Amino acid sequence: MTGQYLAFFIFALMAITGGVFMINLSRVIHMVLSIGLSFFGVAGLFIMLQAEFLAFVQVLIYAGAITIMMAMGTMMTQGGDEGEKPKRRLHNVLSFLSAVLVGAFLLYGIYTTSWPTEPTDLGANNIKEIGVTLFSNFVIPFELASILLLVALVGAIVLAKRDGEKD
Amino acid sequence: MDYIYSNSYTVITIFLLLGIILPLATVWGVGLILRPKNPAPEKLTTYESGLEPTGDAMVQFNVRYYIFALLFVVFDVETVFLYPWAVAFDELGLFSLIEMSIFIFMLVVGLVYAWKKKVLRWE
Amino acid sequence: MFGILDQQFSWLNFTILALAAVALLLVVLLFVMYAIYFERKVIGWMQLRKGPNRTGPWGLFQTVADVLKLLIKEDVVPKKVDRFLFLIAPIISFTPSFMVIAAIPFTENLYFTDINVGLLYYGAISSLSITGILLGGWASNNKYSIMGGMRSVAQMISYEVPLIMSFLGIVLMTGSLNLRDIVHAQIDSGIWFIFPQFIGFVVFLIAGNAELNRTPFDLPEAENELVAGYFVEYSGFRFAFFMLTEYVYTFALSSLMVTLFLGGWDAPFGLTFIPPIVWFALKFLLLVFYLFWARATFPRVKIQQLMEFAWKGLIPVALFNVMLTAVLKTLGIF
Repeated sequence: MTGQYLAFFIFALMAITGGVFMINLSRVIHMVLSIGLSFFGVAGLFIMLQAEFLAFVQVLIYAGAITIMMAMGTMMTQGGDEGEKPKRRLHNVLSFLSAVLVGAFLLYGIYTTSWPTEPTDLGANNIKEIGVTLFSNFVIPFELASILLLVALVGAIVLAKRDGEKD
Repeated sequence: MDYIYSNSYTVITIFLLLGIILPLATVWGVGLILRPKNPAPEKLTTYESGLEPTGDAMVQFNVRYYIFALLFVVFDVETVFLYPWAVAFDELGLFSLIEMSIFIFMLVVGLVYAWKKKVLRWE
Repeated sequence: MFGILDQQFSWLNFTILALAAVALLLVVLLFVMYAIYFERKVIGWMQLRKGPNRTGPWGLFQTVADVLKLLIKEDVVPKKVDRFLFLIAPIISFTPSFMVIAAIPFTENLYFTDINVGLLYYGAISSLSITGILLGGWASNNKYSIMGGMRSVAQMISYEVPLIMSFLGIVLMTGSLNLRDIVHAQIDSGIWFIFPQFIGFVVFLIAGNAELNRTPFDLPEAENELVAGYFVEYSGFRFAFFMLTEYVYTFALSSLMVTLFLGGWDAPFGLTFIPPIVWFALKFLLLVFYLFWARATFPRVKIQQLMEFAWKGLIPVALFNVMLTAVLKTLGIF
């Protein structure tokens, strides 16, 4: 299946280059766009894993909503983000080391986990399965998610209102 | 059944590529041959109703734009939870209706809070 | 489509599918051309004018002439713009508008994809266009553009939520996100979803109209306030692609509405001697006409009315519709 390998390669490349650009670009709005590219690549990978629901949720929430939210967030700040980044040598070395450590840890985790080798059929309609599982086995986390959303909403309103009164 | 899945996404890829090729072919292909190129310094200035542009366009925007974006994210996430619930509702029955009522109630509380705090007003 | 989707992948099938997609693209472009002509004619008649009537018989070649004119216009990229974003913003905005059409089943045999998440696909991909508009406005580095872009985005994200909530009632009734299943459910039960899901239909109609940035919700362009909104600095064919996006979405949204609420290709009153594709086209044209009619009839709303209407009006109503459908379903009425 060379087509699948090619598609995997392209999506993985999108996800990684998005991340790399995100770190290296200097204007915030370019960063937002490149993280959007990264999200899109991940969505493509989900599609290849037959997780369509997850893939389009990824596009809807991350590539659509979160990207726009971040872009709007940057527009609220005055354009004071274009300055030269200070060069910190030790900082860079430490970041590199911790990145290597995290990578090694993840690889170790991947290699030591025993993955089920039997390919399980995910079925034609895995949204239904997601729904059944979510609403029968994970009721409490689901309800907690609503509280989390409520807290995020109220918190943002409180912060923004305080900001607005200062003006 | 598997073929439908992979074929459908192949078609979507075709649509994606066509959607990119059409603007490229017309703007950078045909258009490049047909259109004149005659730049002048006045032509390249920013439009401001015929006046000299003053100041910077990148002004600081009001915080309300950001609040609406955040409300949008919260309600989008909520809708994403509603989808698998709606699909599986036949099998889940009454109990899930109660679960979902609690979930929606929480968000309606958030919406009412935003309403009462006059965040939804656009002055 | 015609059984090709069920077969194993082969380059012959790939070529057929690609050609079919190109054919659909041409149909969409033709639709856009004559939709613009039809819109100008309809609005002209409603305002006791004649509309375009000079270029060709009955002015039929007016839009063709307009497109050619745009092609030979100089392409001005102002000095102060963010060049890269300025150039790709029309593409980011246009591509999703064409991609969403892949999800629409036109008849029993004429469909391009058969995915289980068709509805979610539509909602997710169409939300990407908003990013294109935001980037276009921002990259232009012009006060009108940024203001228009921000307003558009605020409007579109506010109406995106009721739009994707409004079809949840249908998902509850059919238990599927697959658009073909939704049409089949309507054919089998014999009732189009416009009747049991009337609240959802109204919410969808209003939110869809706002998503299209059409009158009475055309504040982003508001030509007498913001001169043209986010695409002031665009000229020639780049400008044309922003306009094209709007009309391709008109095509996509009307088709989606036919599929969801008007029974797709289903023939009403047993009039099956008329082919299904004609039925689809008739319902589709009815909705397109409605959009043009609304443009000629309603005055533009104010921005504060617009935003408050989405959050205080449509979203609570859409949520109420979802809960009502679920309760009625539990009671066994649906």
